[in-house]
Amino acid sequence: MGFTAVEKVLGRASGRPGVRAGDVVYPNPDRVVIHDVVVRENKEKLDQIGITRLTAAKKVMMVTDHDVVYGNQRAADRGAFNRKAAAQWGVGKFYDAGQGGHGHIFPIEQGLLLPGMFYFDNDFHAANSGAVGAFGLRAGAEISRVLATGTTWVEVPKTVLLEISGQLKPGVQARDVGFYLGRCIKSGVIPMDLDYRVLEYAGELDQFGLGARVALCSTPVELRAAGIFIPPGEEVLAYCRRHAKMDFTPVFSDADADYEARYQMDVSAIEPQVALPGAVSNSVDVSEVVGTPVDHALIGSCGSGMYEDLLCAASLIKGRHVAPGVRLFIVPGSERSTQRMAEDGLAKIFLDAGAMILPAGCGPCNDAVVGPVAAGEVSISTATNNNVGRFGSREAKLFLGSPMTVAASAVLGKIADSRELSFDTALQKQMETAYV
Amino acid sequence: MSEFIWSLRGRCYKLGDNIPHPGGVIPASLVTARETDPKVLIPRLFEETDPGFSTRCKPGDLIVTGRNFGMGSKAPGYIAMQALGLGLLCESMSVQAYREAISTGLRVLSPCDGISLLCENGDDIEANFQTGVFINHTRGIEHSFPPVREGLQDLLAKGGTIAWLEHWWRTTGSMAKLEN
Repeated sequence: MGFTAVEKVLGRASGRPGVRAGDVVYPNPDRVVIHDVVVRENKEKLDQIGITRLTAAKKVMMVTDHDVVYGNQRAADRGAFNRKAAAQWGVGKFYDAGQGGHGHIFPIEQGLLLPGMFYFDNDFHAANSGAVGAFGLRAGAEISRVLATGTTWVEVPKTVLLEISGQLKPGVQARDVGFYLGRCIKSGVIPMDLDYRVLEYAGELDQFGLGARVALCSTPVELRAAGIFIPPGEEVLAYCRRHAKMDFTPVFSDADADYEARYQMDVSAIEPQVALPGAVSNSVDVSEVVGTPVDHALIGSCGSGMYEDLLCAASLIKGRHVAPGVRLFIVPGSERSTQRMAEDGLAKIFLDAGAMILPAGCGPCNDAVVGPVAAGEVSISTATNNNVGRFGSREAKLFLGSPMTVAASAVLGKIADSRELSFDTALQKQMETAYV
Repeated sequence: MSEFIWSLRGRCYKLGDNIPHPGGVIPASLVTARETDPKVLIPRLFEETDPGFSTRCKPGDLIVTGRNFGMGSKAPGYIAMQALGLGLLCESMSVQAYREAISTGLRVLSPCDGISLLCENGDDIEANFQTGVFINHTRGIEHSFPPVREGLQDLLAKGGTIAWLEHWWRTTGSMAKLEN
């Protein structure tokens, strides 16, 4: 019986080739990533013990994405604390406020996370690295142990395989595939248990560019997958080779790998999906909710924060205006995307339309540090999830859709099927070469 | 250092399937606040389903749960259980929930397939977390479950992640030449 990609990666990282799902290993990570909001609690925990030096500090990347603009004094104090912590620990890479961007987006764009790599992160959205065939695992509170000692225990996850067949219809995007998958799991049509599993995609994957591959990671992570694995194709590998900041060796599952289960999904008939408030798996065809008035819209987050997402939103918004009474936030995933928006004219398209461009990072999709919703309001967004109270009042209704659905809804002031609007073909064409 | 006690014996406290950590184990407000102080957490354990639980339980008592206990990566309830000297035996729990539980130093066995059929509330039960042997003294039943895995026994015996780190720093870390 062959090995899954995650078994191979963890086997390599722990110096124990041949590990199987269920084994407990202590892998030596290629990187360690910690996000701004949890630095203090971990630093204080280690300081209390007297641990002031990190094992392999040079591997550590500290990113600032959850609260970039410091909406209050507490956040500014946290920023100051983090700056001092980065210096005291001597971390390899410190991305301060306004640098880098979203920690689950920009490292992928910059060739800091690469095929076959293994890394620890405090946050489970590290699974985004599956878009390039890397594995980022959440260590949670134990990131302190990883920082101090260089590792912690990992139970090698089981892998479930999802074979994609068919091509998406025009106007249907990777986020729709995720929402549809969530819907199929919830209804039992696909009896998949993702809890601490790696979801490996297979089949007709060439239709998904790098940005779409990141989007494919979003819903499974919210359904508690430990990781996602999308075998990198030639285009992704070429991008990674061009931007790589270190050597890497892609890893793939063996043909006879020991998958826990195999499933199929035909994506050719999927309609644009909208996740109803409360869970990513509450999704329905957009036609069921078309016309629902909205107050708040957001394009960004770890689920849709790639440059492709901004291009496709701009292709619909160009020449239009955000509807009266709607506030639309654009949150690029990286500082590089913000720069590109300025260079390529996207920033002007969004500003002309009356949208608000926020600094790169998580935006409202983290405890509503910026741009929250009020009680009674309706939001449609590409946030990573729409759990009650995710960004503001628990009495608000949070719908999710693809970047195209959200863009169309923002300009029409109500949930809309983007296929009813014309779009700028040149901008959509650029999506194909967003990451080369 | 005193020898770690691998066996617990006490009364069985039984729960069903799919108990969420917020609400089902401890009030959601404490989960959101990321409260870690056992003194704050102890009186609130099972507050919404069984007020006063902490005043009635005794060290050694064992919480026996159905499938998918805790439903995710939250820790405050486990901190309270550990501080009360309780043990936890689950039909199943998510790996992330298990990680949180054992990190607090809580004695926990999961998966224990079928354990719900082997005991009832109030039974005199015993579990050895190093061997996985479970005994129901009330009913005269003995059964073996998978023990705490070898790679994690040291973590548990040291008292959870913080205590493990303290020990590591004292004995190894502070002396080590760090690879940077």
